[in-house]
Amino acid sequence: MSTHEPTRTNDARTHEVADPILEIRDAEVVFEMDRGVSRVLDNVSIDIERGEVLGIVGESGSGKSMLASAMLDAVVDPGILSGEITFHPPDGEPVDVLAQDQEGIRELRWEDISMVFQGAMSSFNPTMKVGGHFEETLKAHEYDVEAGMERARELLADLYLEPDRVLDSFAHELSGGMQQRALIALSLVLEPDVLVMDEPTAALDLLMQRSILALLEELKAKYDLTLVFITHDLPLIAELADRLAVMYAFELVEVADSDSILSRAVHPYTRSLLNATPNLDAPLSEMRPIEGSAPDPVNVPEGCSYHPRCPLADEECVSQDPGFRPTHTEDHLAACFHWEEASEAIPFNIEREVNDE
Amino acid sequence: MNWFIKRIGQGLFTVFAVATLTFVLVRTMPGSPSQRLASQIREQQPNMSTQEINAMVAQRIGVDPDRPLHEAYIEYMVNLAQGNLGESINYQEPVFDIIARALPWTAFVMTISLLFVFVMGLGLGAVMAYREGSRFDVGSSLIAIFLSSVPYYVAAVILIYVLAIELSAFPLSGRYPSDVEPGFTLAFVGGALYHAVLPAASFVITSWGGFALGMRGNSIQVLGQDYIRVAKLRGLTDRRIALRYVGRNAVLPMWTSFLITIGFMFGSSIILEEIFSYRGIGYYMFDSIDNRDYPVMMGTFLVITICVIVAVLIADMTYGKIDPRVEAGGDNEAY
Ligand code: SF4
Repeated sequence: MSTHEPTRTNDARTHEVADPILEIRDAEVVFEMDRGVSRVLDNVSIDIERGEVLGIVGESGSGKSMLASAMLDAVVDPGILSGEITFHPPDGEPVDVLAQDQEGIRELRWEDISMVFQGAMSSFNPTMKVGGHFEETLKAHEYDVEAGMERARELLADLYLEPDRVLDSFAHELSGGMQQRALIALSLVLEPDVLVMDEPTAALDLLMQRSILALLEELKAKYDLTLVFITHDLPLIAELADRLAVMYAFELVEVADSDSILSRAVHPYTRSLLNATPNLDAPLSEMRPIEGSAPDPVNVPEGCSYHPRCPLADEECVSQDPGFRPTHTEDHLAACFHWEEASEAIPFNIEREVNDE
Repeated sequence: MNWFIKRIGQGLFTVFAVATLTFVLVRTMPGSPSQRLASQIREQQPNMSTQEINAMVAQRIGVDPDRPLHEAYIEYMVNLAQGNLGESINYQEPVFDIIARALPWTAFVMTISLLFVFVMGLGLGAVMAYREGSRFDVGSSLIAIFLSSVPYYVAAVILIYVLAIELSAFPLSGRYPSDVEPGFTLAFVGGALYHAVLPAASFVITSWGGFALGMRGNSIQVLGQDYIRVAKLRGLTDRRIALRYVGRNAVLPMWTSFLITIGFMFGSSIILEEIFSYRGIGYYMFDSIDNRDYPVMMGTFLVITICVIVAVLIADMTYGKIDPRVEAGGDNEAY
C-alpha cells in the first residue's frame, strides 16, 4: 500500500455478528489519476449477517456503489480493490473472494452473490428478449435450462409479473417498474445467497419503490436471501432494513440497528441526513439540506473527513481521525469524537418514534 | 401492416414519377430526344417520309411525336408496365434485352464489393473499438479517413495505372477473358472474378473506411453500456458478449447505411464501368449518352433509379424488423 495511513483503526471495533455470510475487512478501492490517487473506498470493514437486510446509505459520491461492487469483486477498471472479503456459503468452506481465479469468481458471481443495478433498462441487452437473458445466464453457468426457466417463471410470478409476456418482450417494451422487477428475477435465477442491490428503485416513482420493497421482503423470506440494499434514501430503506450502515467520504461513519439509527443517531452526518431527507410527515419548511459538498476522493480532509461541514468540529476533529467506537450500546458504532453532544447540537426536525415491533 | 403498404405505395409512386419525368424530358424538351432521333433517322435514311420516321421513333422509344401528349403518355406507360423499354438505336435490339444481359454483371461486381466492404469494415471497426486508443486503432482510423475521402474513380484510375498497365497483374478491361466460352466452367468463373478484381477493389478501398469508422464508434458506445457490465457479471463468455451484445447492437444501426450504399454503388457503376469498359448497366448508360442512344438512356436510367428506390425501400421496411429498438409503425406500444 501507499504512504496513506489507514484512517479508520477499526479492526477491534467492527460490528461483528454471530453468523456472517460476508465479512469485509479493510476494503479499499483506488484509481490512479493524473492529479493523484483517487481513493473511492477507504478501509471499510463490516460484517453482513446471514439472512439480514443491510441498508447502506450515503450521498452520491460517498463510495457506496464501490462497496457494492467490491462484494462481487466487480470494481470497474482501472480501479484496484484490496482488502479481504470472505464469503461463508451455507455449507462448505469459507471462500476468499479476492483470491479467486477467473473461473472461481465467475461461479461466485450470480451463483452465490448476485447484483441488481441501478437503471434496469440499461441492464438488458436492447436487442435481446428478456427471456434470452435468463436462458444465456443459465447456460453460461451450466444450469439445467428447463428447470431454470421454470424457476424464472415462478420468480416473475412472485414479483406479480406475467411470466410469458415478460420473457417474450424486449426490455423497452416494459414499464420501468416491470423492468426493475424482471431484473430482480434475473438476478435470482441461479439461486444466490446474497443479493446486492445498488439503488434499485432510484428511477421509480414513490409508489413503485414501496411496492418493490414490499416484494423484496416476500422474496427474502421465500428464498432465504441476505439483502444488501444501497441507497441515498435513508427513510425509505429504514423500513425494510434490519441494520443500517451510513457512509460518508468513502468510509463508514455509523453502523447500528435501523431503529437505533432512526431514533437516536449519534453521528452529526447521519442526523443531518435524516433532517435533509424529505419525509411524508414533515412539512417542507422543516427540511434542512446539509451545507457544503461531498469531498473530493483525491483530497479527503485530514482528521475527521466530515469536519468542514460539521457544526461540532473542533481542533481534535481537524487533526485526528475519530475511529469507530461503541456509543449508546456496544452495537451502535459511530466514528465521532463528540457523539454525545450530537443530539443536542443537531436536533431532529420531527419527532422520530422508536419503532418497537 | 398499414405502414408497409404505405411505404410500398410511396416507392411505387416514386418509380411512377421517375418514369413520367423520363417521358416528359424525352417528349417535350426543346431539341428533344424524339426530335433528335427523328433527325438521326432522317440522316441515315433520307428518303423516308415524316410519318414513317415518326412511326419508327415511336417504335424505338415508345414516344410518338405525332400523337397527342396524353395518348402518347398512356402508351408509353403501358409499354413500360409490360417491360417494353423500346429498342436501341445503336444495337438494333430491345433495350430490355440489353439491360437483362448487363445487369447481372453489375450485380456481380457489387456483390463482391459489398461483401468485402462489409466484412472488412465491420471486422476492423470492431477490433479498433476493442483496442481503442492503441496504435492499431489510431493508425487504422487515419487510413480509413484518408481512403474514404478518395473518390472511387480516382482509386480506379490509380489501380489501372499501377496494377493493370505498369505491373500487368490484372486485366485492363472487360468482363471475362476473350478466349473463354461463357458458361459454368472453372475457367469462365475464375476469369470473371479475375476481371472483377479491379472494379470491385476501387469500391472496397474507398468504402470500407466509412463502415469501419461507423462500426468503431458504435462499438465503443456499446462497450460503455451498463448491459455489457451486467453481462460480464452474469458470467457470459467473451465470445458471446462480443457477438450477441457488442456486435449485434453495433451492426444493426448500420443496416440502413449498408442498403443505401447499394444504391450509391448503382449510381457509381456508371462511371466505374466506363473506366474499366466493364459492360454492366452503368457502361451501357454512359455509352448511350455518348451515342445519343435515347431508348437505352431512358431504360438504364429508369432501371438504375428503380434499383436505388428498392434498396432504400428495403432498408426502410426491414430496419424496424431487424432492430427491435426501432418501432416500425408505432403499433407496438409498451404495456
Ligand atoms: S469527529 Fe468532530 S468533525 Fe467529525 S463528525 Fe464528530 S464532531 Fe464532527
